[in-house]
Amino acid sequence: MMDVFENCSTTADHRESLSKSLDVPVECLDYGYIEKCKDVKYLEKILKVLRSGEEGYYPHLIEFCESHLEKLNPKSRVLRKANPVATSASLGKDEWNQIVDELMTWQEETKNTEMSLQQQSTHDLMKEIPSIRGSTSSISLSKTSNAKEKGNSSKRALPRDYQEWDKFDVEKECERVDGDVLQSDHPPAVKIKGHAKIKTEVDVSLLTQQERLLLANREKDKGNEAFRAIDYEEAVAYYSRSLCFSPTVAAYNNRAQAEIKLDQWHNAMTDCQSVLDLEPCNVKALLRRATVHKHMGQLHLATDDLREVLMEEPQNAVAIALLSEIETLEENQPEQQRRGKRILIQEEEEENDDSNNNMQAQAFLAEPSQPVGGEESSAAPGERGDMGNAQKKPHSRGDRGPHGDASSSHAGQWRSKGASSDKYKVTPHESKEKVSNGTSKRDSTASSQTDQSGSGKTTQAGETVNLDAPCGALPPPLARLKNEGNLLFKNGQFADALEKYSQAIQGYTDSGIDSPQDLCVLYSNRAACSLKNGSSHDCIQDATTALELQPFSLKPLLRRAMAYESLERYRKAYVDYKTVLQIDTSVQAAHDSVNRISRLLVEQDGPEWREKLSEIPLVPLSAQQHRREEQPSAEVLQARAEKAARDAERKAEIRFSALKQEGNEFVKKGQHQEAVGKYSECLKLKPEDCAIYTNRALCYLKLEKFTEAKLDCDAALKLEPTNKKAFYRRALAFKGLKDYLACSTDLQEVLQQDPNVQEAEKELEEVTVLLRESLANDSRGKPRKTVPITEVEDDDEEPVAVPNSAGSCRGQDTTINFHPTCSVEFGQALNAACVTGNTAACSNLLASTAPEMLPQYLSTQLDGHTLSFIVQALDSHLLEKDTNLVYQHLNHLHTADRFSIALMLMEKDKRRHMTHLFEHLSSVESTEFTKNDVQNLANKYK
Amino acid sequence: MSTPLSKPQIISHIQKRLNYTVFDSKWIPCSAKFVCVGNFARGTGVMQIYEVQQGEAQLIKEVEKPKPIKCATFGAASLQQRHIATGDFDGNLNIWNLEVPEVPVYSVKAHKEIVNSIDGVGGLGIGDGAPEIVTGSRDGTVKVWDHRQRDSPVVNMEPVEGETKRDCWTVAFGHAYNDQDRCVCAGYDNGDIKLFDLRNMSLRWETNIKNGVCCVEFDRKDINMNKLVATSLEGKFHIFDMRTQHPTKGFASVSEKAHKSTIWQVRHLPQNREIFMTAGGAGNLHLWKYEYPAKRSKKDSDGVDVGVAGTVNLLQNVTVSTQPIASLDWNPDKQGLLLCSGFDQTVRVHIVTKLNLV
Repeated sequence: MMDVFENCSTTADHRESLSKSLDVPVECLDYGYIEKCKDVKYLEKILKVLRSGEEGYYPHLIEFCESHLEKLNPKSRVLRKANPVATSASLGKDEWNQIVDELMTWQEETKNTEMSLQQQSTHDLMKEIPSIRGSTSSISLSKTSNAKEKGNSSKRALPRDYQEWDKFDVEKECERVDGDVLQSDHPPAVKIKGHAKIKTEVDVSLLTQQERLLLANREKDKGNEAFRAIDYEEAVAYYSRSLCFSPTVAAYNNRAQAEIKLDQWHNAMTDCQSVLDLEPCNVKALLRRATVHKHMGQLHLATDDLREVLMEEPQNAVAIALLSEIETLEENQPEQQRRGKRILIQEEEEENDDSNNNMQAQAFLAEPSQPVGGEESSAAPGERGDMGNAQKKPHSRGDRGPHGDASSSHAGQWRSKGASSDKYKVTPHESKEKVSNGTSKRDSTASSQTDQSGSGKTTQAGETVNLDAPCGALPPPLARLKNEGNLLFKNGQFADALEKYSQAIQGYTDSGIDSPQDLCVLYSNRAACSLKNGSSHDCIQDATTALELQPFSLKPLLRRAMAYESLERYRKAYVDYKTVLQIDTSVQAAHDSVNRISRLLVEQDGPEWREKLSEIPLVPLSAQQHRREEQPSAEVLQARAEKAARDAERKAEIRFSALKQEGNEFVKKGQHQEAVGKYSECLKLKPEDCAIYTNRALCYLKLEKFTEAKLDCDAALKLEPTNKKAFYRRALAFKGLKDYLACSTDLQEVLQQDPNVQEAEKELEEVTVLLRESLANDSRGKPRKTVPITEVEDDDEEPVAVPNSAGSCRGQDTTINFHPTCSVEFGQALNAACVTGNTAACSNLLASTAPEMLPQYLSTQLDGHTLSFIVQALDSHLLEKDTNLVYQHLNHLHTADRFSIALMLMEKDKRRHMTHLFEHLSSVESTEFTKNDVQNLANKYK
Repeated sequence: MSTPLSKPQIISHIQKRLNYTVFDSKWIPCSAKFVCVGNFARGTGVMQIYEVQQGEAQLIKEVEKPKPIKCATFGAASLQQRHIATGDFDGNLNIWNLEVPEVPVYSVKAHKEIVNSIDGVGGLGIGDGAPEIVTGSRDGTVKVWDHRQRDSPVVNMEPVEGETKRDCWTVAFGHAYNDQDRCVCAGYDNGDIKLFDLRNMSLRWETNIKNGVCCVEFDRKDINMNKLVATSLEGKFHIFDMRTQHPTKGFASVSEKAHKSTIWQVRHLPQNREIFMTAGGAGNLHLWKYEYPAKRSKKDSDGVDVGVAGTVNLLQNVTVSTQPIASLDWNPDKQGLLLCSGFDQTVRVHIVTKLNLV
């Protein structure tokens, strides 16, 4: 690649005059011409000539030309300018801080992720990796005989010195391994429909939590991209993958949106439901569910959802628009139809159940060798493998009447539909067998379900329907009647269906068979017919009979509830719906109805409406359908648990940092006792936070509770064996406890870690002296310095260790070196006093400073603020003690380097201090100076 | 230009001068660290690990190697191990454990001459199927490696005997969206771009963009191949829509003349495949966004599907150096964090803002 460079430079410059080659006469380089020119290409040429500087350099004209061109074509390439790279300075301070903060948190996070990844590295060995591709030990260059490749190379028109590339040496083994025969012909066009082959199921069992989150996020990104590229099917596939790794609200929500785009209403509904399970008030999910409801014709429910959205976000424009749309739709729809629609929902639910059970039944009935089962499973992934989808499709066809079934010769399209009709043909004797010996519940439900679903499928299956298909324990003539009834029902001939069912019931009672399940189904079906016919009373009667035969069966209950509702007997309907929900909490229609009815009942009966209800029967556990228990799927549960854990963690975190912050505040204010309280609370939440221990240690030091301080430092050092601050503070604690030996050991430790800690060095010197003294004069007892603590905390050291929030608090009342020997020391001391507003300290400092040295010490540090501070200090403290010194200081102060500027910068109210000072000074009698001297001096300070 | 505040900004965050020529730099996945590889003036190779800390890049580790290292990838490593695979001037492919970078965990004499380019797939959770590494070399061959197979490549794509060997400048994996499908795209010094289908073991497509191909990259490796960007010696880049392949016309493409000099690198944003950055020979970075057409395919006169290319918009361009930028790498975890290194012996970390708003 190095020679790329050379190539570049050799192709360069041999061009003639630009204006000639571009054909731009000099006359065109003119304001008037450029302004009139509308030809973008020509303008670009003009601009090039102008920029080249061949005809002279006209910056304004260039600018003018650029701005004109930008008006005509803002995206013109000529206008692209290479900008210098931005720096932190080119952003606003807030913006930059935000970026930096984000970066910091990211760094922290990645550190943790990395740590946990490293800890779990053993897992890796267990992971299955797809096997190695076939080996290439025998590369045969003779594959030139490959017809396709030859064809390819001979067609090339380009001067191609590289034809051999199109052959590709791989041994045949590879092909065998891959199990793919080399295609000899290209298909006419390769329209790559890859998502059909994207695996939507992933094995996550061996992944760690970090990896899962990472991968889930990545798959979601891919889904988003596909969504933006209007490839919704691919998007759904990737969202599904993301959900496999880790179920998140966002992925569910996005999948719902993609499914809406694909008109997969039912799946979208399920996804919205999952989101709402995780986050009950998720506005997006509610909006999307409303959209789904609207498209499924359930305008009521859509309105409910939208209202809820508007409760959350009253300004949500989308919701408002959708709501008004639905309202107009609703107005156009006759009441009757709405009723009908509502029933429709119910049917959907049933259908849903059916096909689920149908699958079960099939798995149960189909022998492995039967083509049905095999086909089912192979077809499923090809059809995006969504059970929900498979369920939905045949149903919606049922609604709109049979259509689009002409292509039914494709076995693959049949899926459950074809499969179930097949099953009818294949399984008669089998299921009979089961009936004969079968009293198991599963058998009977399976068969009773099949007959229902069969009724749905037969319509489409047409001639292939076997009306003699057996139904549970029913004798053939009755079964036939029932199937006929189902067929008629599906065709919308409810009255005829009702008749058939009645005949079947009659025949049943005549034949005297004892199979309450079947009779229940017959009654239940007749109830459905009555409901459709609008004869709600008959429906209720039939459903009640059915329920007597089979207490707590879902469908009759639902039908009765609907019948009650249509008769406006809301209380009874409510009780029935509630019972339904006890049996199966996932019946969405029941949920919605319960909501609706409870609202109506509140209006009707007032707040005590519940008291007027008859008792809702308790459903025995056995009747609660076991598969419902999984309903909030394992994924959802997992996500819920995770969420709860995260919430708790976050709350603790927030409380922790708040406490810590408060503690730090107290330290700043010097209220150490309170700070200790806060820190102790912090430690209750997070006993392993080193910084808190060191902070508390500092407070204890200030409070002179040396033993406690030492204990805290010990704890901190246990957590972080190399914490400098902990060592330093423990040294101070030891010093306070007069254990100079331990103190000096700790200080040496600090210095070993970081030789630049001056305070430690100073401290060490002092302690060594003390140590020697204490050893020597053991009998004399008291060492001179009793309370060294005040001198100990030095200005540089941040008193409160806040590990990641850069210096949220710094420099509180640190002690001041009252005997400065150079300007730096003086400056530090002055600053320390100045920051804390400690005028007494300042006056002490000034008292110990020779007036002649003052200008020198102050040198560059003098500013308005310091000046006024010094004046204040002189006025309030020093004046009483030593007026002469004040005069001396003032006499020298005005000779300092930056005095005049500092004076200028002084604020007005601060100047008042100055005049006060001089007034006081002149009122004092002194031998050193006269009033005139003071007056002269005062003039210099004006 | 009119609303500079709403545009993504490329902000210089860290600059680190190095005492060697750096050829490639890569973020270590799931960390705030990166690896730089290159060669010392004395002719030896070097690999350095840096960590980003408080706006500084701090050297953590440095190892000297006998041969200059040209290229590196983490693409075939697992998230836990994060072994780096490198190609050097002598044609060796090595895989290193960065914890113990003294001895390679895998080493093979892959090519007779310098390994110009390397790419990996199947690791880091990107791409289903076996972890594989592809190398392209000046000796004209492109080879696919599996670290579980010691001495020989699993796939070898080389010219037949007697033909002039072209210098392969760049290789890239793509189309690895299930455990069988996988493609390798290679670009050569004569402008050839070849797409090898590893499932069918065939040359799927080839084209010529008339100038040396400096860099090719799929917008994402682990999806059904969607877009391919190829950059060229004379400052142009081409974007191919890889979804619809016409039997004779191949893939639809759009090209853009962007830089005044060679475009050395192109890298797609890991978080959004429609956004990519190109790096030029004059030390400039261009940030682009691809816009899809209303319909991505149409029927031609014979009723055969033919792809429709979209358009490309410049989002931002900056000059960071006077020397070519030879390597570019987006941080896989933190959106907008960009690592680039150039022949001015400097490695830089940039922050690109507002990428989620475009």
